[in-house]
Amino acid sequence: MSPLPWFTALAHSGLGHLMQNSKWGFAIVETVHLLALAILGGAVLIVDLRLLGIILRRESIRVISRDLSRLLLGSLVVMILSGIALLSEEALKCYYSPAFRWKMVLLAAAGLFYFTLHRRALVNTDTGEPTRWSRAAAIVSLSLWLGVGVAGRAIGLL
Amino acid sequence: MPLLQHICQLLYDSHVGTAIRESDNAFPIIESVHVLGITLLVGTIALLDLRMLGLVLRPIPITRIARTVFPLTWSGFVVMFTSGFLLFWAEAAKNYSNPAFRVKLILLALVGINPLIFHTTIYRRVHEWEALTISPWRARAAAIASLTLWSGIIIAGRAIAYF
Repeated sequence: MSPLPWFTALAHSGLGHLMQNSKWGFAIVETVHLLALAILGGAVLIVDLRLLGIILRRESIRVISRDLSRLLLGSLVVMILSGIALLSEEALKCYYSPAFRWKMVLLAAAGLFYFTLHRRALVNTDTGEPTRWSRAAAIVSLSLWLGVGVAGRAIGLL
Repeated sequence: MPLLQHICQLLYDSHVGTAIRESDNAFPIIESVHVLGITLLVGTIALLDLRMLGLVLRPIPITRIARTVFPLTWSGFVVMFTSGFLLFWAEAAKNYSNPAFRVKLILLALVGINPLIFHTTIYRRVHEWEALTISPWRARAAAIASLTLWSGIIIAGRAIAYF
């Protein structure tokens, strides 16, 4: 089943009309999206550099990831909500945009990876030396999140 | 014409400035680096600020977090300054009169003063308070100033395109 009706419904929703008709709506929501990006990116970077054994080697990964996961999830919620508002302004353009499709695929992959293999790498490594697997998990995580960002930036360009 | 405006016009008319502006890809690529570089610069310094406010990583002493994030934050600064200067080079004559750009420069100056004050005052005695869950009020004030100013810089930076 094509998700096209969902995009059409979003474009014609109250939120869509609000975003399409407001002069500053898109700019303001986009800025919120960017502010949350700073926090999400910082949290991902610190956790994955720790997983690689580059920084905070003496600190427990469990402590670092517990705190930063909350920060990551909080900012992710803000990014998804602001992202839906941005999407509602140009839902059909996004539906046909290859960059948007890539972003959604990469976001799904990053989220799935984060809650499964990445989490297992965090728990298994904890205070130990980074293994080949934990290093690989960190590299995959950094690449996926960077991919989400690059694809997201490309939506406005392609 | 004021001197600053004259310099902006010279940059704008220069070969490099014109080449970036007229290229199909240069400006958007540099701009993308600039946007994603926010995570490296602001994302890392925000973690130190949130730690001083006692919101994250409480068991880890301030100095350990500071030593960890400073190389990242400074790398982020180099990326942001370089990409930002190239963007400015291409648009200097337009940026000169852009109110959002002027606000951004003022906020950047203020965000530079903040760590100067912080490092010459309360941070000198950091070993007395680095392990505290919540830092002393002067450190918390610096953290709030940093978070507020960096947010303002992102807001003003984004707004440049809308003026």
